[in-house]
Amino acid sequence: MAKAKASQAAAESAAGQAGAIDGIPQPKLDWAGRSNQWGTRVKPNAYGLRLGDLNVGIYGEIPDQWQDQTRNPRGAIPRKGVPPLGFAIRDKSDLWAESSGDLYEEAIQRRWAPATDIPWNTLKPLNEGLERAICQVSTELCQYANCDVETITSWQHQMAYGYHEVKQFLATASFDAARQFEAFRKRALSNGGGLGLEGPGQVNRMILESRGGWTEAVTYLFLMRGTFTMTMLRYLERYAHNDAERALYRYTLQDKARQMTYGLEHLQYSIAHQDDMALIMQQLLFIGDRVWAREMKDHVLMEALCVVFAGGISDAGTTGYAIYRQMMGDFMNSYVDTCEWLGVKRQPEMMPNSMTQYLKVN
Amino acid sequence: MVKGPYIGYILGDLNYRREPGMSEAVDLATVEIELKLDWMNRQGEWQTHAKPGKSGLTLADIQIGSYGETPEISDNMTGRPRGAQARPGSFRIGNYSVRTKNEIWLENASFLYEEALQRQWSSATDVPWHTIEPLPDDIEEAQCELATFLTEVEFVAGDVPARWISETTPDYFEPRNVLLAQVMDEARHMDVFRKRALANGGGLMQATGGTAGVVGSIDLARDFTEMSSRLHISGEGAVLTIFRMGELMAYNDAEKAIYRLCAQDEARHVAFGVMHMRYMSEEAPDRHEEIECYLDEAERQILAGSQNPAGNQTASSEALAILLGGGVAHYDEGFRKLMAIRRRQLVEYMKRVKSAGFGKRFENGRSQVKEMMAVSAA
Ligand SMILES: [Fe+2]
Ligand SMILES: [Fe+2]
Repeated sequence: MAKAKASQAAAESAAGQAGAIDGIPQPKLDWAGRSNQWGTRVKPNAYGLRLGDLNVGIYGEIPDQWQDQTRNPRGAIPRKGVPPLGFAIRDKSDLWAESSGDLYEEAIQRRWAPATDIPWNTLKPLNEGLERAICQVSTELCQYANCDVETITSWQHQMAYGYHEVKQFLATASFDAARQFEAFRKRALSNGGGLGLEGPGQVNRMILESRGGWTEAVTYLFLMRGTFTMTMLRYLERYAHNDAERALYRYTLQDKARQMTYGLEHLQYSIAHQDDMALIMQQLLFIGDRVWAREMKDHVLMEALCVVFAGGISDAGTTGYAIYRQMMGDFMNSYVDTCEWLGVKRQPEMMPNSMTQYLKVN
Repeated sequence: MVKGPYIGYILGDLNYRREPGMSEAVDLATVEIELKLDWMNRQGEWQTHAKPGKSGLTLADIQIGSYGETPEISDNMTGRPRGAQARPGSFRIGNYSVRTKNEIWLENASFLYEEALQRQWSSATDVPWHTIEPLPDDIEEAQCELATFLTEVEFVAGDVPARWISETTPDYFEPRNVLLAQVMDEARHMDVFRKRALANGGGLMQATGGTAGVVGSIDLARDFTEMSSRLHISGEGAVLTIFRMGELMAYNDAEKAIYRLCAQDEARHVAFGVMHMRYMSEEAPDRHEEIECYLDEAERQILAGSQNPAGNQTASSEALAILLGGGVAHYDEGFRKLMAIRRRQLVEYMKRVKSAGFGKRFENGRSQVKEMMAVSAA
């Protein structure tokens, strides 16, 4: 244990002096000199002083398991005898992604406020069909965001302190979801429309019910729902009808891209460090695909997207539907490619036809 | 390092659009389908025209018509956004233990949320780290002791609200969003004090166990208001007083900035607790006595205990006295300043509890705060 030398002498001198003053207790200073690693001087660089910069010496040693059940900061000397808090996730392979610290700093740097960063004054009255469709899509995006909020926040407190970078990144991710909830509600209520019909909720249920571990939740929340949301947002951005919506989609894409990056990197890490994780994911996705396919049979979101892409009802069944199919093709290709990249086998015969039909589109 | 297929969106500017995997826009109109469009007749209240005001389009601006109405008891078990049309066939998937308005509501949630968004800051770039110069060893060590304590305890205010958020119906999304902003604020607090501990030739020291899993702790509360009285009113209230006195214990502009920025965040967190308790006190008089009991416990454990960095004779209170006095050799002077801070903590605590509608406890002899005041004045 490194001991700060000066504190010893200083402590002695203080004990002498402090005792001389009436009513002022002498400091015990039993904490002084107690550090696992003293002499750490991390300097800011061109990007400031970032979380990852702190990972020097023992402060950067991130073990595969973190058995400490208190809030002992990584690298501090633990205190014995502290009643445990009961963190359930204590294996690195159950939550880790190397870029968590950097993604946290990115999230903080790229902060935005729907109230003031969206040019709301560019919203102009749209034809009623289009406004209804945009409001429907906004409602579903609110509900996706709600599912993100409820899922992420139900896991955060279960994660051990040794992996604080992940806890910190997820704090920004659940906040991003709160902002998405807020932003799309604002869009729905600001141009003569209102909220739409709630979504079918089957995929939400699957995500919320993923109790087998955070990695399972990540599989459904990011790999499956996240890939779909990213694809949908890209298309919404491409076919946006004013600058306010364009900005809304762009900011949300940026936020979601961080979550996707954490999620995919975590899955990759988990597969590399747990024997049968690729097989578990294959099972989860086999089931997940069928839930997904059932939800996609619901026509509401599909029709709303067709109307948005076509700019109104009249061409929604032709041009709008063609663009929708193209979007679904991009989603399916991206989903299957990502699974392959992760090493999770996804032969088309394992998937429902209602999904694989889109693999041929683009 | 950040990598992966979405890196362009993360690191590119906001106009970044093109990604591999997105098809070129082409005319594919070869299949035609008949749309039902029945859902267009099954939407929420229509003709809503929220307009931005001088602070932009705020949450307060969208409280229009039925969208501004919040139910006293929420029967929303499917997680639909408040005001959206319900689907009769939706599964009841909401795991909501908080679905009575007075359990979580406060009048100014929209304002606190918008404030939180506008006042976000970065510990990487908004703290002038280059102003930190080597300090005498006893000062650096005291600073590192305090920073270790704060790194340890700051995220109790992240972990615990997060768990409650996951159990709160989206019908009360305004308070929920404030709490989500708090969780992010606390991530930054945990991070800024870790940065401070490792930035000036020191290091992390020994943890204090200040947030252990014991009865009466913030972690173990089984009711939201009970948790909020411990966390927001007594715990964060005590920390807020210290951060506000940051000028007295800072040795450079970096430390001044840290305390000032953290104080700004903590003021919102404390305001949440006070405003919520006020709402609860007005709307649920039948819970008054129960809340008095929470306050009894919070005063005993949190104001006086090891979770208060200015508590009695703890490692962090000794460190504070050293910082306030200007070194171990001036411990007595620092200790007197510490006692002044503790009195101020208690005065501010009383003010908040009075404002929340529970001021009688300071007159009828129930509260122990006056005795605590006498001790710190001695
Ligand atoms: Fe804090
Ligand atoms: Fe706080």
